[in-house]
Amino acid sequence: MIPITIDGQPVEGKEGENILQVALDAGFDIPHLCYNENVKPYGACRLCLVEVVRRGRSRMTTACTYPVMEGIEVLTQSEKVLRARRMIMELILAMCPGDKLIQDMAKQMGVEQVRFKKDDNKDCILCGLCARVCDEVVGAHAISFAFRGDRREMVPPFLGEAMNCIACGACVVVCPVDVIRMKEEGDERTIIRWKRTLKMKQCKVCGNYFAPWFQLEKFKERAKLPKDFFDVCFTCRG
Amino acid sequence: MTEKLNVFAVRTLTQKEYFAPGHRACQGCAEALAVRLVAKALGRNVIIASATGCMEVVSSPIPFTAWRVPWFHVAFENAAAVASGIESGLKVLMRKGRLPRKKIVTIALAGDGGTADIGLQALSGALERGHDFIYICTDNEAYMNTGIQRSSSTPFGASTTTSPAGKVKMGQITWKKNMPAIAAAHNIPYVATACPSYPIDLVEKVKKAASIEGPAYLHILSVCPTGWRSAPELSIKLGRLAVETGIFPLYEVEHGKYHLSIDFPRLRPIKEYIRLQGRFRHLTEEMIGQIEERVRKEYAELKEKAAKGVAR
Repeated sequence: MIPITIDGQPVEGKEGENILQVALDAGFDIPHLCYNENVKPYGACRLCLVEVVRRGRSRMTTACTYPVMEGIEVLTQSEKVLRARRMIMELILAMCPGDKLIQDMAKQMGVEQVRFKKDDNKDCILCGLCARVCDEVVGAHAISFAFRGDRREMVPPFLGEAMNCIACGACVVVCPVDVIRMKEEGDERTIIRWKRTLKMKQCKVCGNYFAPWFQLEKFKERAKLPKDFFDVCFTCRG
Repeated sequence: MTEKLNVFAVRTLTQKEYFAPGHRACQGCAEALAVRLVAKALGRNVIIASATGCMEVVSSPIPFTAWRVPWFHVAFENAAAVASGIESGLKVLMRKGRLPRKKIVTIALAGDGGTADIGLQALSGALERGHDFIYICTDNEAYMNTGIQRSSSTPFGASTTTSPAGKVKMGQITWKKNMPAIAAAHNIPYVATACPSYPIDLVEKVKKAASIEGPAYLHILSVCPTGWRSAPELSIKLGRLAVETGIFPLYEVEHGKYHLSIDFPRLRPIKEYIRLQGRFRHLTEEMIGQIEERVRKEYAELKEKAAKGVAR
């Protein structure tokens, strides 16, 4: 166990953990959008900024990418941190003005007006969580960042259809601003943002559509399952 | 739209357990699973007031506890009253500056007995006063913890120890009380039904309930292998069947607007669900037909409400 102090309170963290994890476990409130404990921290949203004092020197850093070290002192609510966070919130709000979660967070932090150019056509905050989940949890590598600077975008390869996407919906669930939508109509499931439409498989017993063909083929290939393994749906099976 | 996602989407949930393993729930208890998912969805900043019931008994045998979040055991009838007290207390402490201002979710957790029978008065009061809390009813359709006595949530025809099936009567003679409709009639912002067989759907509903200001009511069907006389390995399947046969449809009521979470092109025959459970063993074909008729009618009514968008 590594002892650190957060806002003057002694807290213990484990080797290899980051400040955000330790602080959240101890009940401190640090806003964050791009963090999910099942994937590697990325530090994209910058909202979890904290001040870390180590050997008498203070620096600002993102809590999700900073490992716990012995004797560090973390300030989550100092004036400097709050000012920086408000600025970042304002920038994020300019990127994604329509989302309710972002609006609520901004309101809570006291960001009332946005001084930057708002772009109503854009809604993604470029946190990269969908791509990280797709790579590390799903292993499909269907989407990635493209372009640089202010033209940076999260897109399928060559802006076309995401050919590796198995329409599992993990990105739909993790997206903090809820811009990845899924729809199911008849025998087709579409992940709208990745322009991916897959045919659904029908259960041989009950006739319900239960999962995309392509996804089930991938599973069979990966786990070396018999050919007829997914002929019946999860409910009808045993 | 998230109810069919089950493989990878579940792995994006937190791996921390706030409802710790090692509690004393029976094998195959879907209620413990439901509570675990609820705790996962809400994370660290919650306070739970739990009425007497299965989840209280299995999670806190002295001197142990399965809870890694603040948790109260309160009397059978007043989970909602205690939760409203906690919520008001937090509000006052934050106003006076004795607590830092942050979002702490207050939850009242009770079984179907603690909700539909004994705790109904307290629940109705708390919903009417508009406290910002979530009421979670884990419905296993009888008083399972004391030995399977009937409650008002027990479905028609089910045999329990106080509504036994025999020569004179065929189990429970009344229909299941429609608790979500009672909660929705209080004009509260959010009412939903969920089932742990659809984990992502359940987690999303809990998160939505937490983000909404004002009272929210969540009705979770929890399969009980002990009381339903079913095989423990069938718990998840039974939950799915309950939804797919239309016996326990998953829906949300947001500000009075009904919305079906999952709809099937055609429902399964309810026989598939009933034949897996020992509590319905005595039912004749005729009675099953009678139940099916009623289930279909209620489902059609619900669908109509959802199609209209507004109803009550």
